[in-house]
Amino acid sequence: MVGVFAGLKWHLVTSRLRAASGAKKLWMAIGFAALTILLLLVAVGFASFRMMPEDAVPVMVTILTLQLVGWLVTPLLAFGVDETVDPQRFALLPLRPQTLQRGLLVTSLIGYLPLANMVVLVGIAVALSVPLSLLPVALACMAVQMLLCVVLSRAASTSMSALMSSRRGRDLGMAVGLGVFVLYMAFVLFVNNPSADPSASGGALRSGVFGVAEVLQWTPPGALAVLPSLVAVGQWGRAAVAALIALGGLGLAWWWWSVALRRNLTTVPSSTEGSAPSHGAEGTAVAVGVVGTMKVVAGRDRLLAWRDPMRRMPWLMVVILTIAWPFVVVRGSGAIFAVALGALLCGAQAGNQYGVEGSGLWLHLMTVTDRARARGEVLGHAVVALAPGLVIVLVGIAVQAVVHDDFAQVPAAVGVCVAALFGAVAVSCYLSAVVSYAQPQSRKSMFASSVPGQKGRTFAASFGFLVGGAVIALPAIVCTLLSLSVDPVWGWAALVLGPVAGLIALAIAVRLTANRFLATAPEIFEIVRAGDRV
Amino acid sequence: MGTPSAFAGGQSAPGALPAYPGAHELAAATPGQALVLRGLTKAFGRRVAVDRIDLDVPVGSFFGLVGPNGAGKTTTLSMVTGLLRPDAGRVLVAGIDVWSDPAAAKARMGVLPDGLRLFERLSGPELLSYLGRLRGMPLEVVRQRSAELIRVLDLDDAGNKLVADYSTGMRKKITLAAALLHSPSLLLLDEPLEAVDPVSARIIRTVLTQYTRAGGTVVFSSHVMALVEGLCSHVAVLAGGRIIAAGELAQVRGGAASLDDAFMHLVGASDMQEGGLSWLGSSPA
Repeated sequence: MVGVFAGLKWHLVTSRLRAASGAKKLWMAIGFAALTILLLLVAVGFASFRMMPEDAVPVMVTILTLQLVGWLVTPLLAFGVDETVDPQRFALLPLRPQTLQRGLLVTSLIGYLPLANMVVLVGIAVALSVPLSLLPVALACMAVQMLLCVVLSRAASTSMSALMSSRRGRDLGMAVGLGVFVLYMAFVLFVNNPSADPSASGGALRSGVFGVAEVLQWTPPGALAVLPSLVAVGQWGRAAVAALIALGGLGLAWWWWSVALRRNLTTVPSSTEGSAPSHGAEGTAVAVGVVGTMKVVAGRDRLLAWRDPMRRMPWLMVVILTIAWPFVVVRGSGAIFAVALGALLCGAQAGNQYGVEGSGLWLHLMTVTDRARARGEVLGHAVVALAPGLVIVLVGIAVQAVVHDDFAQVPAAVGVCVAALFGAVAVSCYLSAVVSYAQPQSRKSMFASSVPGQKGRTFAASFGFLVGGAVIALPAIVCTLLSLSVDPVWGWAALVLGPVAGLIALAIAVRLTANRFLATAPEIFEIVRAGDRV
Repeated sequence: MGTPSAFAGGQSAPGALPAYPGAHELAAATPGQALVLRGLTKAFGRRVAVDRIDLDVPVGSFFGLVGPNGAGKTTTLSMVTGLLRPDAGRVLVAGIDVWSDPAAAKARMGVLPDGLRLFERLSGPELLSYLGRLRGMPLEVVRQRSAELIRVLDLDDAGNKLVADYSTGMRKKITLAAALLHSPSLLLLDEPLEAVDPVSARIIRTVLTQYTRAGGTVVFSSHVMALVEGLCSHVAVLAGGRIIAAGELAQVRGGAASLDDAFMHLVGASDMQEGGLSWLGSSPA
């Protein structure tokens, strides 16, 4: 039976390659070759840590833990990545849970992702094998790590699959995504600890990693990373404890998986749980002219930005990125300009405005039929990104100015950020009509943002705003550079030029977007409705 | 999109189009018709889904569009409602060309498509209010009609529940309410009673019957012959992207015992023969 599972997974893994045409096959082969080279470089990079044995162990403790966390949260963030993840697919087959579990383990180990992980793990094993005679021990540890990753990931996904089959549960999954993002920020701040003594042999980052590794070596992945070095120095007692931690962790994960699997196969998922009801926020604006339509559309968008997790979570991430992220990337003066990235991301919230609702766009195809309404609609979507965006960006600038006592840079920063915000909104609006793309409506993940066959389109639209926004902010950026190198008065010029350039870009974009929508609405609809199937 | 020649996009070369009369001439030549189709064509790659359809739907009629799966019913209705661009042909709603003057044509039609999403995170009343206001209807009119539609369609109990949590029957009813809100003269419904519970189906049938009695025209597609026979005054049978019969119900049914029998005869289907599948029920494996 395990062989059948392995064959099924192999078939799934290779089906895309088999289905591809000649030219596509060639491109896929080139892609695979490039990825293989990249992976080998990563593996060799890790292996080179064996030259620095005192750094190798703490770094690998951290890496292996991050790898395990990655495997644990991936199914929650991108549920449905793997067709064999959902055990409900096997519920009707006459299989014993033990057989199913063994079969699923084998299927989990076959695939591009496990293969890539194995290559990297071999590199890590080489790094930890000092002397080289310890390589078999290190390889055995990495094999256990691979099993641990797969088993824990499956246990978590099986436990969550019932929850993820309900819409409420998937909303929760998005909250988990935000939690992971916040944890990442906290981790970066902790590892790159500014309060640590940077002069202490290697700087803040090194001391942060060492501090984290001290704790993590008592976890299963950490124990697997330290085990070869403990064997090397003959600390057999501690080595036994490390082995016990690792194997105990694996055993517990296996047990969790089996319990979750049994429960999953014998109980009905609670997929009927509804959302909290609305509070009857119907609005009073009427679509008379451009402004009236703008008010109607903006009213709905504002409501949904709060009510719909798919719209709410990106805003929360943007708030964090605009206000907290500059502290992480830039130390001291100048961090105020890092708010510009947050401004661009705020602007991006006006993106793919025709694809957000999937085939629900038909309602607008039936009602937004003339130029005034089409322009009003675009403007409505734009306003809902601009109004909170402006507040968030100004708060971000104020926080940086106060914390770093950087008030002299405020005019230039406001100029650049407002231009970036308006520019990103303008470009996002235009790209919505020109490069519309389908957004998965199953909402299994806030990160599963494209549907098969539209990845290039999604990428172009998702990152076009960064380039477009930066281009529109260029006059303000030039003024800012002049304010820093020639005369501070240029900062005030940036303050004037930035918003003016942004407003002009927005005015043009609204017209072009509306015209494009009216001319190609059925074609846009055909593209975005594909999101219903995913 | 503004000129009829824009239809030449897609598969057909401009010169290859048949010479259909202009919208004004066609409207003048077809008085008393709520919907007129001439030469409506759509191909997906090599597969022709709708093949030069001509159809006249009289004002005040209850018009059934029937056909097997893949016959082209949904494709036809999508082109009539402006959701899918035809390769060729003309669609007039109340004498207005849908693809030349979509704003005026769409103001005169109400649509209930099959399998398309709504704005899922709005409640039913919020959805109706939004669509009514987006159409530029006065706020008081929107409120009064919305409340009445919700009451008549028995959606009171849903309260402020989000559309995402609606059952299939409730979704069909709220979509029908949205289609009726602006009081259009033509309703285009794609499988309005598919997967709907009997109570909701009865309510929808009653509302539609009232609507036609008041002078409105209903065009709806369905697989269920008994339903079409019970409701419709006119029927068109589609198969392989073509209309193979159209007219008043009695005329299409002809001498057959039921519309179902007539349909089977028209599409060339035969009853499943006995025999075969002898292994059914013989083994648990």
